[in-house]
Amino acid sequence: MSFMEMKQGIIVTQGLMKQFGDVVAVNNVSVSIGQGELFGLLGPNGSGKTTMIKMLTGQIRPTSGSATVLGLDVKKDPIGVRERVGIIPEQETPPSFLSATEYLDFVGEVRHIPDVQKLADWWFDFLDFGDKRDVLCKDLSRGTRQKLMFTQAFIHKPTLALIDEPLINFDPIMQRKVKDYLTEYVKRGNTIFISTHILEIAEEICSGFAILHKGKLLYTGTVAELKERDQHLDDFFLSLVEKDGHV
Amino acid sequence: MFKLFTNMMKEEWRVHSTMFGSLSFALFPVMIFGIAFMGSFLLPLFRAVVPPGYLAIIIHAMFLLLGIMVGGFGLLGMEVMNRRFGQASLLSYSARSLPISEQEIFCTFVVKDTVYYMILWVLPVVAGFALASPFIAVPPYLPLLLLLTLTLAFLTGLALIFFLSTVYSRSKQVLGVLLIIMAIGWAAFSLYTGIGPAALFPPLQLFYTFSWPTLLVACAVVIIPSAIAVLLFTSECADATKRFKNALVPLTKKLSFFPYPPLAAKDLIDLLRSGSFIGQTLFSFLIPLGLLWFLLSVLARFLPPGDILLLFAILTGVIASTMYTWLTMFDSFSSYTCLPVSVPSLLKSKMCSFAVLQMIPAALIVFVSLASGGAVFLAPALVLCLSVSFYALAVTVWLTGLSPSVLVYDARVLLTYLLAVGVALVVLIMLAFVNPFYAILSALLFLPAWLLVKVSYAKWDMQDQPWF
Repeated sequence: MSFMEMKQGIIVTQGLMKQFGDVVAVNNVSVSIGQGELFGLLGPNGSGKTTMIKMLTGQIRPTSGSATVLGLDVKKDPIGVRERVGIIPEQETPPSFLSATEYLDFVGEVRHIPDVQKLADWWFDFLDFGDKRDVLCKDLSRGTRQKLMFTQAFIHKPTLALIDEPLINFDPIMQRKVKDYLTEYVKRGNTIFISTHILEIAEEICSGFAILHKGKLLYTGTVAELKERDQHLDDFFLSLVEKDGHV
Repeated sequence: MFKLFTNMMKEEWRVHSTMFGSLSFALFPVMIFGIAFMGSFLLPLFRAVVPPGYLAIIIHAMFLLLGIMVGGFGLLGMEVMNRRFGQASLLSYSARSLPISEQEIFCTFVVKDTVYYMILWVLPVVAGFALASPFIAVPPYLPLLLLLTLTLAFLTGLALIFFLSTVYSRSKQVLGVLLIIMAIGWAAFSLYTGIGPAALFPPLQLFYTFSWPTLLVACAVVIIPSAIAVLLFTSECADATKRFKNALVPLTKKLSFFPYPPLAAKDLIDLLRSGSFIGQTLFSFLIPLGLLWFLLSVLARFLPPGDILLLFAILTGVIASTMYTWLTMFDSFSSYTCLPVSVPSLLKSKMCSFAVLQMIPAALIVFVSLASGGAVFLAPALVLCLSVSFYALAVTVWLTGLSPSVLVYDARVLLTYLLAVGVALVVLIMLAFVNPFYAILSALLFLPAWLLVKVSYAKWDMQDQPWF
């Protein structure tokens, strides 16, 4: 990581906006996320969280404003961004007709990961889905597909991962395992950006957070600050979005 | 049941209108109507060169194929929809959450498909023909008869595919045996009686000579397989969860000469495991082309053999260009959004895979040239077929990017495609008819094709990919 990246933040957005026809999905959002943070983007359904992640990972182009990820401009170099980060999209979409192990080989080939099989074996073991390695992705359960997508996002050991609803399809045992993994991951100097509407997760594992409502950024801060004020994240969140006119 | 039907109709409309806008899709039947209306004025010209009856075969065969294709898409729907819409669910799968039986849902689904695609395709064609009929000296009862027989032809295709796919979902082996019995029976009947296959198609017989018993038989051919399909229907496939040996790594190594070997390997695996390779080769390529060859051979009395071969090569090229949809049908860009893969890379890779698939039309042209005694025209026919195919591919890529089978229903897209490809085809047909060897000039089409592909890379890279 360059000195500039550390100084400027891993993710920096300035007046980021995305419009779909007349609908403004993300409206003038400016945030800066530093190295080693486990940052949570929080908001009710339809608040623009997924659109925000799609813009940050170069999947869709911002209508206006700017965003840099790991020092790369997402508009100018979306492929460069996707090369360096790990992404788990909101809907798990591994290719239907590849088996789990073939999909990881495919990811390995596209990302030029040496010894991908060895790494895949570790993940099959860690997330406990080795018995499904030869099953086609279309025949996997949602939970197993989520495990597979989790694996593809981390198999190349990125310094930044962007995850949309990280725990949504996992059972409680797997949720615990994944939460521990993410916490350990940032301790090693990596950065994680998650979007979620499950506030308990954010309160438990996130260091910093932002609240997005109707595409607008209502608040950015740290969980520690809230704890100092003896406030719970869910109360704080609800009071903010209600003030902003959430029904 | 009626409520379910109306909601399924709304759902089908919204699936289409969400993809390319309500207006564009609403214009689609209007465009079909316009084409049928204008095309009807060509009938007197065709009648001068084509023996009576053959045009009837062509149009009934087209609607039979349309029924087969619509039914095929409907039943592949879950897989295609999952690829295109992610976790989207359709009412067809609501037996999982609502107190409605699978049979009732499937029955409503069949009725919905019938009504919806009748409105989309059958009625506009017949209406266009009916409006033009006073000007082309066609008896006034003919459009009504055509409405009946085309509807029955379409429904026969739909019923046949629903029946076969229901058998498939129960047992692949039984389906195989059934197909073999049908093919042998059909061939034996034709050989024994000397009656052509068209005579076994009740809607066509009804068109030639209307009679109540024939109408009854035509209806029975639709109703009996549909009823069996509804009774046998199960949403559980015979072999839902299979295990596969890793094919990606060895294939990637074998395809190392491709620009993106893993993408090519994935395309090939998709084709083979989805059943598209055999199914599409048979139903979307060989059967329509067999039919075309049969119809073109009728022109043997009016045209020199070389011209027929070249005409066939042109049409093969157009149909071969649709192989691009084989490669995109089960693929969704959303699978690549978490990977460093750009849209131009994907387009390039799919076009390379497409180039490999062109061995199929090339082999067919070689076979037909030799079998028909037209070996002398093999070179121009081959160049013509491949040039048309690659040019039509370039137009398709330019207009539809990675979503050809979806965006083709956009009236503007289809019209632009027809114009861009149609003009080139007319010029090539004229050239070929002047001198078959002039057809080699069709290789010049590679130039606009190359330019279109270049423009397409920039065009589709700049756009947010539609999340089908």
